[in-house]
Amino acid sequence: MKIQKKKSRRYLRAAIQLICFLFFSSAFTAAFGGVKYIAAQLGAGAKIEWTAFVAALAGLCGYTIVFGRFFCGMACAFGSLGDAVHASYRWICRKMKKRPAELGEDLCEKLSVVKYLVLAAIVVLCFFGIYPDLRGMSPWDVFSMLHAGNLKLRGYIPGLIVLLAILGGMCVQERFFCRFLCPMGAVFSLLPVLPYFALRRSREDCLKGCAGCTRKCPSDIGLAGDGSYETDGDCFQCQKCIGTCPKENIHCGWKGLRGDERAFTLLRAGLLIGLYLWAGL
Amino acid sequence: MGAGRQMRGFLVRAASLLAILSILACYDKVLESREKEEAYARLSARVEALETYIAQSSRQAETRGSQEEAVQDGSLYKDGEWEGEAEGFGGPITLKVTVEKGEITDITLLSAEKEDAAYLSMAEDMLPAMIEAQSADVDTVTGATFSSTGIRNAAAQALKKAEK
Repeated sequence: MKIQKKKSRRYLRAAIQLICFLFFSSAFTAAFGGVKYIAAQLGAGAKIEWTAFVAALAGLCGYTIVFGRFFCGMACAFGSLGDAVHASYRWICRKMKKRPAELGEDLCEKLSVVKYLVLAAIVVLCFFGIYPDLRGMSPWDVFSMLHAGNLKLRGYIPGLIVLLAILGGMCVQERFFCRFLCPMGAVFSLLPVLPYFALRRSREDCLKGCAGCTRKCPSDIGLAGDGSYETDGDCFQCQKCIGTCPKENIHCGWKGLRGDERAFTLLRAGLLIGLYLWAGL
Repeated sequence: MGAGRQMRGFLVRAASLLAILSILACYDKVLESREKEEAYARLSARVEALETYIAQSSRQAETRGSQEEAVQDGSLYKDGEWEGEAEGFGGPITLKVTVEKGEITDITLLSAEKEDAAYLSMAEDMLPAMIEAQSADVDTVTGATFSSTGIRNAAAQALKKAEK
């Protein structure tokens, strides 16, 4: 019974990810387009207008402040791509009875700083107006072209190489891109996420020495306790920890809400899609 | 003790976010008032120029006709409606440039089916800029490079046909 419930939640997440991948793949690039646009306007001394990109950025940031990085875990096309690549790699390794390659936890922690550098570099390049000259280097451009079925990739070879390297990284580490490289993720993880829907754990009656949630977590997070205001910026709201805890100690900051109820997940996904439509994506 | 420190981290993030938002809002307000001042200065300069022009032309009323003709001859484009097409993000973008009395008066998108709505609406901001510049050579929109390069190239193609 319990296993069946767990399975249905996994399927629900996969379904939401697939729908968003197919129909709203540009959300991440549009929101980050807002960051680039603001930096470019500041650099040029021009006014910041309320454009579609700025609306997408503001909408997603507001959403993340309330619900945490639900967008990253459930709706981002690049994140879903990473999940699919990682799962396929694991599946192939299992079939071939080979041990999958992994990055160490220490290395991961160091690498997670890189996304802030990526963000800073892109903002500086936009500010000084150099970014448009670097056309062809961006892996996101290549990804969105492939997604749109546009195969004229001449002039985009550097971006294609970076994309392939990222796909390789996605194999060896779950959420490789989101945790280490995503500049939009860097913005999200600097936001003050409210504690009501962020995940917490009641530590008092944990099994001695159990760290199941941390081991299951793609970001190796040890969750904060009840009543805390600390939310790890790298929590993607993938909800894996909730299902894995043998004592069911993980829940939202709001008492009485676990955080992986199907109705709650559907509600959040519905709100997100409403937000997309409002921003005109 | 621990809870107090965690609370502080949250407050620091919240305060930074508010600071960034208010800086951006102030920045926009300053630019807006500066823009108004500039528009006022431009308008008064134009009024002054017009006044001198009227004063001059009343003195040399007989030469005015030939002056107007000279303006006509100085224009770059032939009158008419000109179409252009270029590759955008996912497919071709076509648009129509209207030239009246040698001036670009209107640019309309005819089709851009394969473009993403959000990107296209960003790139469409270039159309009024082109009319103002009387040329296709305006800056592309950061973040919507494909769509805006497509629009620019399509307009350039249309204007090439319109050239005298």
